[in-house]
Amino acid sequence: MKRASLWIALLAAFSPGLHAAGESLDDISLEDLVKTDITSVSRKSQSLADVPAAAFVISADDIRRSGAQSLPDVLRMAPGIEVAQIDNGRYAVTARGFNGRFATKLQVLIDGRSIYHPLFAGVIWELDPIPLDDIERIEIIRGAGGVMWGANAVNGVINIISKHTRNQTGGAINVTGGSKGTGDLYARIGQATSDSTSWKLSAQGRHIEPSKLADQSGESADRLNSAVIDFRLDHDIGGGRDMSIWANASRSKLNDAWNTQPNFVPTLTLSKLTPQQDAHSESLVGRYRWLSDSGIESSLQASFTRSGVSITEFLAESRNTVDLDYQGRYAIGRHDILWGLSYRSSSDEITTNEPYIAIAGRSYTQSNTGIFVHDDWTLIPERLKFGAGIRADQTSANGTNYSANASLLWTPSRTDSVWLKYAQAPRTSARAERDVSILTGVAIRTSALGNTPVISYSQANSNLGPEKAQGVELGYRKQLSSAVSADVSAYRYRYTNLRSGTQTGMFGCSPMFGALLDTAKCGYFGLDTTPPFGTPVLFVETQTINGLAGWSDGVELSADWMVTPNWRLQLSYSWNHLKMDSSSNPSINTHAEITERSGPHQYGSFRSQWNITPNQQFDLWLRSSGGFDRQKLIDLVPNTSTAPTFSHVPGYVTLDLRYGYRVNKDLEFALIGRNLINTKHLEYISDFIPSAATSITPTWLLSTRWNF
Amino acid sequence: MSFGKINRLARRIALATALVLAIPTSFGEVTTEAQLKAAYLVNFLKYVEFPGTRSTINLCLFGRDSLGPYLASYEGRQIGGRELHIRKVSSPEQLVDCQELFIPDTEEARVAAVLRWVDKQAILTVSDSETFTRDGGAIALIRIDGRLQFEINAEALNRANLKASSQMLRLARQVTGAVR
Repeated sequence: MKRASLWIALLAAFSPGLHAAGESLDDISLEDLVKTDITSVSRKSQSLADVPAAAFVISADDIRRSGAQSLPDVLRMAPGIEVAQIDNGRYAVTARGFNGRFATKLQVLIDGRSIYHPLFAGVIWELDPIPLDDIERIEIIRGAGGVMWGANAVNGVINIISKHTRNQTGGAINVTGGSKGTGDLYARIGQATSDSTSWKLSAQGRHIEPSKLADQSGESADRLNSAVIDFRLDHDIGGGRDMSIWANASRSKLNDAWNTQPNFVPTLTLSKLTPQQDAHSESLVGRYRWLSDSGIESSLQASFTRSGVSITEFLAESRNTVDLDYQGRYAIGRHDILWGLSYRSSSDEITTNEPYIAIAGRSYTQSNTGIFVHDDWTLIPERLKFGAGIRADQTSANGTNYSANASLLWTPSRTDSVWLKYAQAPRTSARAERDVSILTGVAIRTSALGNTPVISYSQANSNLGPEKAQGVELGYRKQLSSAVSADVSAYRYRYTNLRSGTQTGMFGCSPMFGALLDTAKCGYFGLDTTPPFGTPVLFVETQTINGLAGWSDGVELSADWMVTPNWRLQLSYSWNHLKMDSSSNPSINTHAEITERSGPHQYGSFRSQWNITPNQQFDLWLRSSGGFDRQKLIDLVPNTSTAPTFSHVPGYVTLDLRYGYRVNKDLEFALIGRNLINTKHLEYISDFIPSAATSITPTWLLSTRWNF
Repeated sequence: MSFGKINRLARRIALATALVLAIPTSFGEVTTEAQLKAAYLVNFLKYVEFPGTRSTINLCLFGRDSLGPYLASYEGRQIGGRELHIRKVSSPEQLVDCQELFIPDTEEARVAAVLRWVDKQAILTVSDSETFTRDGGAIALIRIDGRLQFEINAEALNRANLKASSQMLRLARQVTGAVR
């Protein structure tokens, strides 16, 4: 209690110092204004001051100066976004906990088109969705955003907004090369054919040579080859009407190293597999926006996407997705009303490599029809705004789901805003979660019978339903002076019906196991059961169920300080804690432990952007993450316990540097160093798919940007 | 959740908030682009003749307000004998009494709608969207060669029945349309 009052005293002590945002440029004349040089580091408005949510914006400048070559690496600067690199192309990216190779609770949209994968749930990050240079800004809104962004925007949404083509006329070529065999190329041409019409065509290719395996047993197979071609055409019709067309094709080839091909005879051994992965996606998107005489702003977007993933000796998927989305907006009196209708249909054809992985139904079409309405209501002009919205989604496999939100935004002064939000959102189960049966792990159990390999086999559950999240958030944003701003947010969410597993059975493939012997099931896995020994292996059968529930608490902080006109510092810090409920079902308790330990409790980022001279930039980025534990999918050390075993991923601090030199306004060179502090570090150990962990090592890159 | 946990969580929040507030406020002031934009918005009011004889002059900020904090210190200033007020607006009805309206470039998609709201009213429209004057707005603030410059669409001024001073027209980087 004493400490609490200390904090209150501290808060009170700081309150009188809440100045307005800096001094005004007093009585400076227009004549002087046009002559004032802007040496300032930030180009665009960074704030989303009027949003009653935890929001963060990454500008094109931030992307360029980060030195990052891939989209997930850029996202590391945002508070609440947890990024862990798995290998050269694969990443685990989540918002506010529950990270995983297939992190299911984060929605990602590129110009309104979702890249959330309906088979795996989550995003295939190795497939570059858009060249980094074509991004205008990235808006990240943490917390449940189901009303506006639809199912799966449970912990947050990342909105990637591409540059308008009238800002991309002319040509550009960027070449980056460096250690680890890194070679990146970006090229663009664009033209404004008239005052109202412009287009651009761009392409990006990336290559990286394989990483070292974390266990020092040699090289992984993660040679990355990825390419994306992006075309956009914009036409302004006039009278508040415009249209845009996007055509996008991307492809990535990225092999993998798994330690998992089991051989049971004479004893269990695992041989290495190097599956070849090839992913592609082609999209055509059209958008028409218009303004009715009554002042209703409308936008209709249609997209068609053909995509596929093939992983040799595992699965091959091909998919066609159609999206239709209408949004309307009408501002009247003190109300700002948004509403929308959406329809999505996604058809797949999947073949799998049985018995390792099997899928129920070779092809399936899933559909989703959604409707939402949201109102922002100004209760007291300049001071208090109330927002509320509701959405209903009718889905083919998850029934009808509802999302809702309500928020209050209080702005006691122009420089302070406080918001309080309640939101709930569903996460619909993905095709793989409902229909895939897969070998998920191997352990060796010591018992009276000696050492017995125990294989975990997870079975499909076509009835797996949606997960639900609801919670409250509180945030405070403050512009302390013209140069310093900061915001802090805290949240507490309740998750129910989370996917977990429950043990449904057990069988053995040796007559020694007596009643546990199941000749038919062993036959499916190609295992011999003939007496006297058969194959001495046990199978534990589990089924995915909506059995897990728990709480997620967290605090996020970000601060931005322009120390001098040429020097900007940015800090972000996130703390998250997951506490799952205990259950009478031991399998669910196991899952609860795995979930709680599977991500870092805290992580942070500190960036410095310094313009040494108008032509020279020096940027520094310190990144850090706490350690966490991942369940060992494969553990060949004999164990008497049935409890899961864990591998530790240690915490790390690392550093990126960038020195940029502008020869003239069209030519720039940059020397970039990434992950410089340690000779190597580990960021993640894969889940579901037992890829061998790789080391993240320092890389040096030289980059040239030329505009013509 | 037990009291202890609530207490711990509350302490963390308090700590984070204290950290935010503890960031010193009195460092050497920096002229940021946002500050320059704010200064422009106030200055334009001095160089444009507005019809009527009111005692106040209102600068309205549309949508996602990013300049509000930088304009706060101008609140209540006297501009040509009128008291300056800064207001946020989000719908057409709220535009009554606005003399100047700023539309941030993050609201670019809504420019056409907002320009229709102000059509033929005596409101000076300003945006930092580069194509604002082409889209029918009156003044665009544009960053060129490390400076913040402005472009004027004289026809938009005519339609709004506003008269810009010759000095302002001279300082503009570009004036499109015929000045009345």
